[in-house]
Amino acid sequence: MTVTVDPALAGDARRERRFFLSLSLPALFIVGLAAILPILWIIRQSFLTTGGEYTVANYSKVLSSGLTWSALVTTLELSLGTLAICILLGTPLALALASARPRVANLLMAFVMLPLWTAILVRTYGWLVLLRRDGLINAALTGSGLTAEPLPLVYNFTGTLIGMVHYMLPLFLLPVYAAMRDIDPNLIRAAASMGATLGQVIRTVIMPLSAGGIFSGSVIVLIYSIGFFITPAVLGGGKVNPLSTRIERALSTFQDWGSASVLGILLLVLMALIGVMLLAARRLLAQNTVAASHA
Amino acid sequence: MSWLRLSLTAFAISAAMPVHAQTLTITTAGGDYGNAMKEAMWAPAAKELGYDVREETLSDGLAALKMQVTSGAIATDIIHLGSPEGAQAAAQSLLEPLDYKIIDPKSVPEGAKSDYCYPFDSYGTVMSWNTKTYGENPPKTWAEFWDVAKFPGRRALRANAQDSIEIALLSDGVAPADVYSVLSTPEGLERAIKRLEAIKPDVAVWWTSGAQSAQLLKDGEADLVVTWNGRAETVKKDGGAADYTFKGSVIGTDCLGVPKGAPNKEAAMKLIAAMTQPARVAKLTDFIAYGPVNPVAYEGGLIPEDRLKTLATAPENAGTSVFSNSEWWVKNGEAAQQAFDEMMAR
Repeated sequence: MTVTVDPALAGDARRERRFFLSLSLPALFIVGLAAILPILWIIRQSFLTTGGEYTVANYSKVLSSGLTWSALVTTLELSLGTLAICILLGTPLALALASARPRVANLLMAFVMLPLWTAILVRTYGWLVLLRRDGLINAALTGSGLTAEPLPLVYNFTGTLIGMVHYMLPLFLLPVYAAMRDIDPNLIRAAASMGATLGQVIRTVIMPLSAGGIFSGSVIVLIYSIGFFITPAVLGGGKVNPLSTRIERALSTFQDWGSASVLGILLLVLMALIGVMLLAARRLLAQNTVAASHA
Repeated sequence: MSWLRLSLTAFAISAAMPVHAQTLTITTAGGDYGNAMKEAMWAPAAKELGYDVREETLSDGLAALKMQVTSGAIATDIIHLGSPEGAQAAAQSLLEPLDYKIIDPKSVPEGAKSDYCYPFDSYGTVMSWNTKTYGENPPKTWAEFWDVAKFPGRRALRANAQDSIEIALLSDGVAPADVYSVLSTPEGLERAIKRLEAIKPDVAVWWTSGAQSAQLLKDGEADLVVTWNGRAETVKKDGGAADYTFKGSVIGTDCLGVPKGAPNKEAAMKLIAAMTQPARVAKLTDFIAYGPVNPVAYEGGLIPEDRLKTLATAPENAGTSVFSNSEWWVKNGEAAQQAFDEMMAR
């Protein structure tokens, strides 16, 4: 069956589409200028010697250096560690928020969002005050006799991870919370009425339906964490050196823009790879869920 | 008639006054140090010359200088650098040659002379310690700093090869005078790096800025801190449980340069000459314990007797020290830093 459309209406629709498109032009222009041009510039820079001649030496130098690979490992450890803790802490929290009464949920949400409104430097130095040797946490631990010696909570991997999770948790929570809130409560009631336990409800109804939110949250966490600089620089005590600190070293100590650009491109490729992998995983999972629901 | 007189007067006044005062931009490291330079050095000099000087602050002078010069957007007329960075900048032709017709060439001792970056003050990289931890019996040499059995405690060092590898060799029994000849052999650099690797398990923090090192000392986060004498002196003066020694310090100088293609080159040279007059660099020590390079500044009581002890270059402090060798760092800096970073990643 074909639907006949009034040609005048179709023309209107076309005009409308064109009008909306033209409205987006300024934004597209700015994105192009602010994102694409610098990336092209960095790509060009990565092929230049300090004298300005074309070369691939920057690539061979960076890719053959053991420092690059150990920085890459640190980057992955930090971002995957942050993601794992965000999922472990954030998913139950989102579940609690989504099932709370709206008034309570809004109040709790405000507490979750509070760190987002604080500048990252302030937050990072705040952790320093809490975590350092004579900081609040260690003072409480040694004062109460729980530990004899202050724990090494900061200027290491642990401190860096704490700072990063603190930054990323709200950003992870938002899409997960949104997905969980959109679940039709009737589905949960239906599952319960058929005799499903709470665990079964979570596993078979809530988790599959909020998988999209968890994936979006994970993408945000990973993409942000991979480029983190301030937190490892301040809380890592010089011992936690992801790719971002290698870029800083190449720029400020060596004035080696070529190598810094190569490292920047490496970060970009890493982000693209992770993005593609997560999207593929999501598609796969969606297919499995559909298949399972038909089984 | 009165109209004519009035307009003539107006004309005379406007001719006597420049259309607008010469404006200049100076880039310093900011913080206590930047303020000290402003109060003691460039602000009075600018007033004397009738210049209108703006201040920019940066902690990464050389990176910014390179960015400005290579992009052709030079935003500063005078830049404050460490002398090794100054030498590096000169080697990359990022600086204008100094005009020694305007600046007095006799104001710099022969060993410290530079054609591109004018050395004006000096500092020592020193050993500092928490007096609560060690009381009256702190480590006295770098060898003792490395002796974690005799002096247990958390160490903090700079996350940079500069000064660290010199100190590492001193701790290994190399005489101050031989440090750079030893470092110039491949085994020498390796020896220094091995020595740093040996202390690494006891290093609680590898710091990245002078302010951070002062904070670590002040908070007692680390018991033994390698830092700059001005920072250690400030912590001590502010009542922190800290002390330091000049014994075995690595003495470096800071310098002023003019970026290649700077908009007001000649005025910049004049300001450098004026702001580094002996009385002004002597006055700098009122604010921060960084001693003048110009020997004349130590004469005529420009610097009070009791303060001399707090300066790295004071004669009684200089005996056991190593003078940081900018030339060595320009030539070997990248290799040394690479070896240092690899040690850190192990």
